Amino acid sequence: MKVIAFYNVKGGIGKTAATVNLAYLAAYEGARTLVWDLDPQGAASFYFRIKPKVKKGGKGLLTGKKALDDVIKGTDYKRLDLIPSDFSYRNLDLELDDFKKSDTRLRKLLKPLAEDYDFIFLDCPPSISLVSENTLIAADTVIVPTIPTTLSLRTLDQILDFCNKMNIDHSKIVAFFSMVDSRKKLHKQIIENPPQNVRMLKTCIPYASDVEQMGIYRQPVTVFARNSRAGNAYQKLWHEIKRFV
Amino acid sequence: MESIHTAQFLFRQKTDIDSVFELLSREYSLHETGCTHLIRHYLDSFDWRLYRNGYLCGWDERINTNSLNGNGVFFVHEKKTGDCICELPMDRVPRFSKEIVYQACRKLLDEMLDVRALMAVATLRIQSRESLVLNEDNKTLAILQVENYTVQGQTEEKQLSGRLLVCSIRGYKKVFKHVLRIITERIQLSRASNGLIDEVFAVSGQNVAPNRFSVIRKFTDTQNTWETVQILLRHLLSVMQANEPGMRAAIDTEFLHDYRVALRRARSVLGQIKHILPNKSLAYFKRELLWLGAVTTPTRDLDIYLLKFDDYRRQLPMELQHDLEPFRRFLERHWKIEHARMCRALDSRRYQNLIGKWQKIFASEDIHPKHVLSRDTPPTETCNATKPARQVASQRIWKLYKRVLDEGRAITAQSHDEALHELRKTCKKLRYLIEFFHDYFSDEQINKRVRTLRRLQENLGDFQDLCVQLEQLNGFAEQMQQEGIAETKTIMAMGVLVEKLNERKALVRAEFGQRFKAFSQPEEKSAFASAFSPRNLLKGTLA
Repeated sequence: MKVIAFYNVKGGIGKTAATVNLAYLAAYEGARTLVWDLDPQGAASFYFRIKPKVKKGGKGLLTGKKALDDVIKGTDYKRLDLIPSDFSYRNLDLELDDFKKSDTRLRKLLKPLAEDYDFIFLDCPPSISLVSENTLIAADTVIVPTIPTTLSLRTLDQILDFCNKMNIDHSKIVAFFSMVDSRKKLHKQIIENPPQNVRMLKTCIPYASDVEQMGIYRQPVTVFARNSRAGNAYQKLWHEIKRFV
Repeated sequence: MESIHTAQFLFRQKTDIDSVFELLSREYSLHETGCTHLIRHYLDSFDWRLYRNGYLCGWDERINTNSLNGNGVFFVHEKKTGDCICELPMDRVPRFSKEIVYQACRKLLDEMLDVRALMAVATLRIQSRESLVLNEDNKTLAILQVENYTVQGQTEEKQLSGRLLVCSIRGYKKVFKHVLRIITERIQLSRASNGLIDEVFAVSGQNVAPNRFSVIRKFTDTQNTWETVQILLRHLLSVMQANEPGMRAAIDTEFLHDYRVALRRARSVLGQIKHILPNKSLAYFKRELLWLGAVTTPTRDLDIYLLKFDDYRRQLPMELQHDLEPFRRFLERHWKIEHARMCRALDSRRYQNLIGKWQKIFASEDIHPKHVLSRDTPPTETCNATKPARQVASQRIWKLYKRVLDEGRAITAQSHDEALHELRKTCKKLRYLIEFFHDYFSDEQINKRVRTLRRLQENLGDFQDLCVQLEQLNGFAEQMQQEGIAETKTIMAMGVLVEKLNERKALVRAEFGQRFKAFSQPEEKSAFASAFSPRNLLKGTLA
């Protein structure tokens, strides 16, 4: 089982879209896949048409495997399951803090699922918190969608610094450019000269209306517009990620 | 055992299904996704490894769809419950477990199949209509599949009873139970008690074959040696014939392996159960079976190299691993040549004559020893034919056991490799005999003795394999140079491999002493004596 976290401190940069599309592609190819929508906004749950509600809330989930097992929902796609979001996740930091070894709680919770899933995708909330620390520790690979702008690159540095401080293995951080607008000069320049302090993937996800349409169709782009620019980009991205996870 | 994920109901008429849909549509929104035509190829190894382990495996080929998932789906189901273990989109039938991309599924199949290939064991045409049970967000809560089946029977196509499959979606158990309640209580459809595969096998006349080497007929105390030899050789010929098509078609390497094991066993029967055939016939069969062994050996040797190739690669330092590739190509090329040569031998008149004579003498139930023997055959040549099989077998097993002990004791650190090879052959003969005549001895006695013997054989087998590989590797290197396809780097890599194999050979050789000691310890000796010694046998008979 491989745990892949999609994380960034910033919001609205395509984390959830990447999680949903790449998880769908993994399942589509035959891998038993689970998405955990950790963001209280519940966008991933919305895309999968699953109510953002879990029995006993976030606190209940942290108690053990049985609780996790109970809330897993099958999506409309074969081999793809979801742990839905819940509004109570906004307090997950406080609830994690109540546990001993609070930074490794998530890893401990996911461990028993190794028999059931080939991949677990974590859709993380945009923050630097105990939840982020937990996901960074639990994940085998942390994928950071990054808009090719100066501020976004600064955020990427902050994430790397955070990992250093927390003694989290730097090599598991991987970034890709998201919401790329090829008409913008700055975007082009940054893509041509990507940061050297982190592993950057070659595939870029374009800024495309198809991605926004996911909210209307409530489906991954790769379902309703597989051969669109965005659909192709996600397939290429998954192909690239698969090679090292 | 019923599945908690899928329920299957039998239906006879379309009206049953219409009623189900009518009732369900009063409570749920139903969405029909369309009709699919499939050809399902059930897959298993030649020796039914998946079925025996409680799994079903197959490949569904979609005929009328533009599905995004390509044209085929490979699946593994649990046989008892029908629950899905894995389902992967695949454009073609995978032959070997290593072709499965996802680890958990590959591992499961690998453990069962090892080097065996998957083959189609039955084919079924399915017409499937799928409907989704949806909630207000159009989220799927359960799936209904109405399936009609057509099987190609032995003479004609046959329709099986249609099935309604209700599949649950994880996390929506209540809906699943509610749908089942409607179907069972209000429409009163009956649950399918048989697995679909069993119905398919019944119609297509497919039988799950028994274990490849076990003789189904039991030997009795009244049987004479000739009769048991006849049964054994008849069975071994049937094993060879069953494996012949697969070995000619090179479906997997086990066909040839099993063919050769049966052949070796046949040679052992003829060589070890003495004085049952006139010398002339015996000499003919011994000569021809030796020839058959010889014509199949080069292909088997090359099979082994190719099977071990990845291991060989891994034994080399990283920087040399790639240099070994020309050797793989050399092996593959020569395998094709040797395989073609072997097939020609199997097509030859000589081979057909051998099989014909074998069938005539051993495969006919009616033949009594008197008919086999000509009038001028001296009685001494066939003096064991009419003796009780149990007596002859025990005497021979005991004699071979003593020979194993003598040959083993004579081996010292200075002994030539050939001495270990001779001991290995004697051990093999001993084990075959014990296995052939296991009906005459208690299971407990046999199993324990065979286990200790097998441990010794493993050591001797590994040693012999390494000796042969080392000798042949040097020969191959020379041959590659003569053929002008050996780069210096490849020869160097092969040299390093020879060194590694030599190291392994020394280790295996050093282990021999301990293994033989375990085999020849006093408790083992007395256990062997109580099981096989003619003196004890006589005591048993008198008692």
